[in-house]
Amino acid sequence: MIPAQFDYLAPTSVEEALAALAEHGDEAKILAGGQSLLPVLRMRLNAPEFVIDLGRIDALRGVRDDGDAIVIGAMTQHSVVGSDPLVAEHAALISKAVEHLADAQIRHRGTFGGALAHADPAGDLGAPALALGAEFVIAGTGGTRTVPADDFFVDLFETAIGEDEILTEVRIPKHTGWGAHYEKFVRVAHQWPIVAVAATVRVDGGTIAEARIGLTNMGSTPLRARAVEEALAGQPATEDAVRSAAAKAADGANPPSDLNGDADYRRHLATVLTRRAVLAAAGG
Amino acid sequence: MDLTHRFTVPTSVEETWAHFQDIASVAECFPGATVTAVEGDTFQGSCKVKLGPIALVYTGSGTFLEKDEQEHRFVVEAKGKDKRGNGTAGATVTLTMADAAAGGGATDVQVVTDLAITGKPAQFGRGVMQDVSDKLLGQFVSCLETRLAGGAPEPSGESGPTSAPGEQSDAAAPAVDAPPVSVGPAPAAQREAPAAPHTERDDSLDLGATVLPILARTYWKQGVAVLGVLALVIWWLASRD
Repeated sequence: MIPAQFDYLAPTSVEEALAALAEHGDEAKILAGGQSLLPVLRMRLNAPEFVIDLGRIDALRGVRDDGDAIVIGAMTQHSVVGSDPLVAEHAALISKAVEHLADAQIRHRGTFGGALAHADPAGDLGAPALALGAEFVIAGTGGTRTVPADDFFVDLFETAIGEDEILTEVRIPKHTGWGAHYEKFVRVAHQWPIVAVAATVRVDGGTIAEARIGLTNMGSTPLRARAVEEALAGQPATEDAVRSAAAKAADGANPPSDLNGDADYRRHLATVLTRRAVLAAAGG
Repeated sequence: MDLTHRFTVPTSVEETWAHFQDIASVAECFPGATVTAVEGDTFQGSCKVKLGPIALVYTGSGTFLEKDEQEHRFVVEAKGKDKRGNGTAGATVTLTMADAAAGGGATDVQVVTDLAITGKPAQFGRGVMQDVSDKLLGQFVSCLETRLAGGAPEPSGESGPTSAPGEQSDAAAPAVDAPPVSVGPAPAAQREAPAAPHTERDDSLDLGATVLPILARTYWKQGVAVLGVLALVIWWLASRD
């Protein structure tokens, strides 16, 4: 099906984009990589009068080193993020997750900020961003503000980004030397995970000094498995120790039931995938 | 599917009943609903359902199917069609009031809703629609609850719009998780402007992620395929003038 008619706006600066958003408000949708928005338009599940394409704003693209953090521009394509050496060195968990994100075509079109702003609870970037303590830089007509990952994901498809705001970049504190793994369980390759676990650990002489665990699709937003993180701290990086800590992976989670699996199944998956993810992260 | 919600309000059954003689005050409690016309026991209106990037507007009508003053029970049926013809939504709401089991002049309210959504928005499997319904009804019920808890104690029609129900809503606040009625029109005023709690939230129903992941999962291939087509459309739109 062909989308309903809309006016296409292609601003070349964030200010222009914000002005267009302020002018058209509810009638406008922001287009990043279009991998989620376009199917919706095509099925006419939404028919905005204006589509504001951020694709011509060069300032929103690229990865840069910013001292104790790396900064990923919101319009940087997944494929660029996935192959970026800075990301691989300082936020390996992001690189690992991007490897498993959809397929190559989508990774070349879809954007880092677009996927996070979309906030699909089954999206592959939320859990790693949460686990790494990312900060989201959001621009509005009144200036920019920075929102920590803990406050960014509000609910299903809902983030801290206001109606008149645009996500411009994501700052990720450096986790240099941390092992990382993204363990994703899918029924069909390239699809959304039924459950996935993002784990990054700092191993010191065979002992897990620190661990950060994020869960994908275990609730309406990405979740931190804090009980596992606490249980892992100071433990040896052995299968038994990790298995015992990973048993707490679903604590406090309220996963959905759907055609791919019910809530109990997801809870079980979370424990298994957490064990695998932590072991792989600690071993690599 | 039938979904049942129960709550208790601190007013007597008679007062609570009087509160809902105005159909618009019930209808306006649906998230994103706007009542455009009321005639007798029937209303016309629209209901905006927002779900991440999805925005659907159902327009339709509703009517009191049954109003049983003895049993303190009423049934409202609402039907709507998506503006773009993608589907229909229907709800039958049965609201029953009884003296609270705990006594004290309070009222137990039970709301049973039979919700049916057809067309594209419904092609996502039962699990999803359950979430959607829960979210919709959760907002609907907490709105009803807020209205009842915040309503003036006098029967509808006797209290003027100047009476302030602030104290009553404060008293009821522990039992209510929706925002209390701050504008505070009495029931008589609500006939004309029945949107007191409604205006406090920008609340087209936000269905969030329930449907979208499935949608995207189901349609991502077509989504990729349509990219090329869309690029052409955009090029055409951009180059038209």
